Amino acid sequence: MNVDLGPDQRDAAAGARDFYRGSAPPAAAREALEGGAVAPGGKALADIGFLGMTVPEAAGGAGGSLLDLAVVAEQGGAVLAGPSLVTAARAAVLLADAPDLAAQLADGSAAFAVVDGPVTGSSPSIDAAGATLFLGLDDGALVVGEGEATPGRPLDATRGLASVRLTSRRVLAEDAGQLWARARQAAAVVLAAEDLGAADAAVQMAVGYAQQREAFGRRIGSYQAVKHMLVDAWVGVDQLRSLVWWAAWAADAAPDELPLAASAAEALAAEVLERAAETCIQVHGGIGFTWEHDAHLYWRRAKVDRLLLGDAAEHLDAVARLAVAGALG
Amino acid sequence: MDAATAEAELRRTQRVLYEAGLVGVPWPREHGGQGGTLVQQAIVQQELARAGVPTLINHIGLGMCGPTVIAHGSDDQRRRYLLRLLRADDVWCQLFSEPAAGSDLAALRTTAVRYGDDWVVNGQKVWTTLAHVADHGILLARTDPERPKHAGLTMFVVDLHAPGVTVRPLRQMIGSAGFNEVFFDDVRIPDSERLGEPGEGWPVALTTLMNERVAIGGAGSDLGVPVETLVAHARQRLPQLDPDRQVLARQAVGRAVVASLATRYTGYRRFTELSRGGLPGPEASAGKLAGTAAAKLVADAGVRLLGDDAVHAATGEGDETWQRSQGFLPGLAIAGGTDQVLRNILGERVLGLPPEPRVDKSAPYAGGAR
Repeated sequence: MNVDLGPDQRDAAAGARDFYRGSAPPAAAREALEGGAVAPGGKALADIGFLGMTVPEAAGGAGGSLLDLAVVAEQGGAVLAGPSLVTAARAAVLLADAPDLAAQLADGSAAFAVVDGPVTGSSPSIDAAGATLFLGLDDGALVVGEGEATPGRPLDATRGLASVRLTSRRVLAEDAGQLWARARQAAAVVLAAEDLGAADAAVQMAVGYAQQREAFGRRIGSYQAVKHMLVDAWVGVDQLRSLVWWAAWAADAAPDELPLAASAAEALAAEVLERAAETCIQVHGGIGFTWEHDAHLYWRRAKVDRLLLGDAAEHLDAVARLAVAGALG
Repeated sequence: MDAATAEAELRRTQRVLYEAGLVGVPWPREHGGQGGTLVQQAIVQQELARAGVPTLINHIGLGMCGPTVIAHGSDDQRRRYLLRLLRADDVWCQLFSEPAAGSDLAALRTTAVRYGDDWVVNGQKVWTTLAHVADHGILLARTDPERPKHAGLTMFVVDLHAPGVTVRPLRQMIGSAGFNEVFFDDVRIPDSERLGEPGEGWPVALTTLMNERVAIGGAGSDLGVPVETLVAHARQRLPQLDPDRQVLARQAVGRAVVASLATRYTGYRRFTELSRGGLPGPEASAGKLAGTAAAKLVADAGVRLLGDDAVHAATGEGDETWQRSQGFLPGLAIAGGTDQVLRNILGERVLGLPPEPRVDKSAPYAGGAR
């Protein structure tokens, strides 16, 4: 029942914070909307070892746990970094029996994307826009191949969303439905971890402003109308952190709990990040509604992420079904 | 079973559990506790709840009064009171709120005036849970009206059986009598029953209140109805709803489960920090705030699953679990720190936001600052 990070994870989180702050300013998310590259980019993430964190050591990865990856992903979320570690987590699960490909994931020599929906024309999939190799589920089989990615007009350009049509495909595993589901759950946990970081950053930004900005002769954070809104957003972040840690821990230590935990974390993440981002804009007032301010970058992330890998309604339904089926013990 | 028998049964239950080492888990051994951690306490409480053991009769003594005596009492007070509290030989209550001092507790009016070795108390407390069965209480009273309101308070242990103490049960909005008004008419308290120094009552009260929020804010068990009870209820009731309603009901159940688990694991995180030697901080207020919100979602989902029975105070079979829980929750959002006071504490002490100006904070209480 002890719930805490270990010293290694705390160190990893601190190191990741420094790395991301130094290599991926939130402003890059604004530039990406106007055609700039996402930061820090896939090569930097491979070089520092983040893409291979959950890839086995034998395949050139770090052999870490999903919790190790989640605490790093939180720091990436805080600065709206791209590409997402969601893909790293998901592909590492899918490539467990394909060490050559897993090695390419870890060292960045191939840029992977995992596509949902039909491989002849997928749903908008994370980081598909810049990918060179695609993983998909085709008639129950796990396939890998090259493909054509068609991005839409981006709402949040850091997500690299694109629909994909595979132009070649090779079967990696037949009857891969269960493997696919587990990979998607790992992906949901890491998405929730990135959302946790983004929500925390948005709340801190708003708190910082409310401590400085004055109106009617005093700082706006002293007014209960503002203070209580910020507290509600912060409590959401605090609660989300607990579910993210639990779900990430469950992936390795209690796999039976993962389906419910992943859906719970993902459902709460959608709500918490949306509230944090909207609160951030509201507390900033007019300045928060400008292109130059970072607030809308977090809002964009919220509006996109809440629909990725299943929306909150789908995850709440899954939580209820799993609980009724006995998943809470 | 009449009330006196029920009370005797609850006292006996706590004594049996104490003798089995299951009461006072996080209390120091030197004071009769088990010297354990809050995490171990949470595990014990979950198992007691799972076994259907009712809430311990001395839950206020264990969670709030006892820790205050441990922190601020004399050796003599600790020796006389703590073991008896653990065994439920004495039941305790907390005499803080007054008709004109709820959220603004430091505005309280009950006075204690010193005469020789005694203090003489006059005034009224209200919303006092357990006072109708309690033997002792911790009492916050004004001892120096010339000082600013927070600085003129002193804490005492009071004997609820002393001459001049009158306890009148109050009927709650759902109809039952769970708390009380307590009147003090020239009640004498020996100076040896003071907790902390004269004028130091506010910091002593903060010890009690921080422990209260840890106790209420997620003792590893849910506020209101446990989420496992909701899930069992859903398992039985969902198939009886028509398919469209089932979809909506599952959304409500899912939302309640997510909120409950998030609150539960956040409680475990806090307990883990405290078990490593931390002191209860203002973050504990978040547990009560979020726990209350989660309890509302659980009760709401439970009531909705009842279908047409939800408009009555009980089901046709006489089950009132969900309706009672729904009716209990407005009180939960008030007791032990209203949702709004908790948000102020979190905003100011965790987020570092500036306080609202308080015009009466530094003026002498007697000078009209009330």
